[in-house]
Amino acid sequence: MKIKPIILDRIYTKHTNYIIDLQMDSNVTFVSGDSGTGKSAVYSFLLEYSSEDSRIRCLNYIDHNKDYKETIRNAKGILFVIDNADLLLNDEMRQYIALDTNNQYIIIGRNPTSLMLSQDEILGLDSVKNDDRTVFSLKKAFG
Amino acid sequence: MITVYKNSAIPVTEEIVRFNDIYFNKYTADLLDDRARDIIKQIDQTEMLGKYAIESRFDGTKLNIDKLSTGCKTALNVMYNPNNIFDICECGENALEVIYGMDAGKVYCEYPMIAFTMEKVQGIDNNGVHEFDDYEDLRTWWKNED
Repeated sequence: MKIKPIILDRIYTKHTNYIIDLQMDSNVTFVSGDSGTGKSAVYSFLLEYSSEDSRIRCLNYIDHNKDYKETIRNAKGILFVIDNADLLLNDEMRQYIALDTNNQYIIIGRNPTSLMLSQDEILGLDSVKNDDRTVFSLKKAFG
Repeated sequence: MITVYKNSAIPVTEEIVRFNDIYFNKYTADLLDDRARDIIKQIDQTEMLGKYAIESRFDGTKLNIDKLSTGCKTALNVMYNPNNIFDICECGENALEVIYGMDAGKVYCEYPMIAFTMEKVQGIDNNGVHEFDDYEDLRTWWKNED
């Protein structure tokens, strides 16, 4: 179910020589791709950025023993960034996220089942080096 | 040849390692030797600088080995701990290619996670041991209910 981003359509931040410039076209942004392309590095930069923007909340494997499912269900006006999503989200949670119109999601994982995504909503991470800086952005995974 | 386990065939005495990052950071990192260099190079396209250090593929800085990708850590977990079963659900195609090319190792995933380059794999379910050398055959077996 494709809807426009309800919290942010762009995240731009910097971490030393890394620039993170994420443009989001839909409310659920699914980021996948080969291992080692910088997905978890970008997650760590977004975690840092969440200290400046209270609308952003980050979850990863460290949170697996915490009540993150209730946190998501009770949230309103939050952009959740979820790394290790294949471990954290079961089918039920993915269905909930697909239909959630109160919050926005960036999901880093491999299994988009139940998220009701079209092919153009599955993205990969692009990294471009400019001198000693690296810019991370999103790109279509297919086509 | 690696072995793929169906959930029902996992011995009660064994646990699936699902959190590959944690397992790697706590246990596998201590086991690494020169064999890890190739795996790290193939998957994360970077150099291992020492037992606990890698070079960043993006800017060449020295990083703790905990900054390897989850896919790379999973491959190293499988290689250095051939008696344990590891969930491969977080592996990208590049990590899967390395894992499926290993001589030994035990893996699990709730749904099929297969490298396109797979050659020969052993599958274990309630009915015993099966051998697969075809992607589609393995996928069909994996998708079937136990």
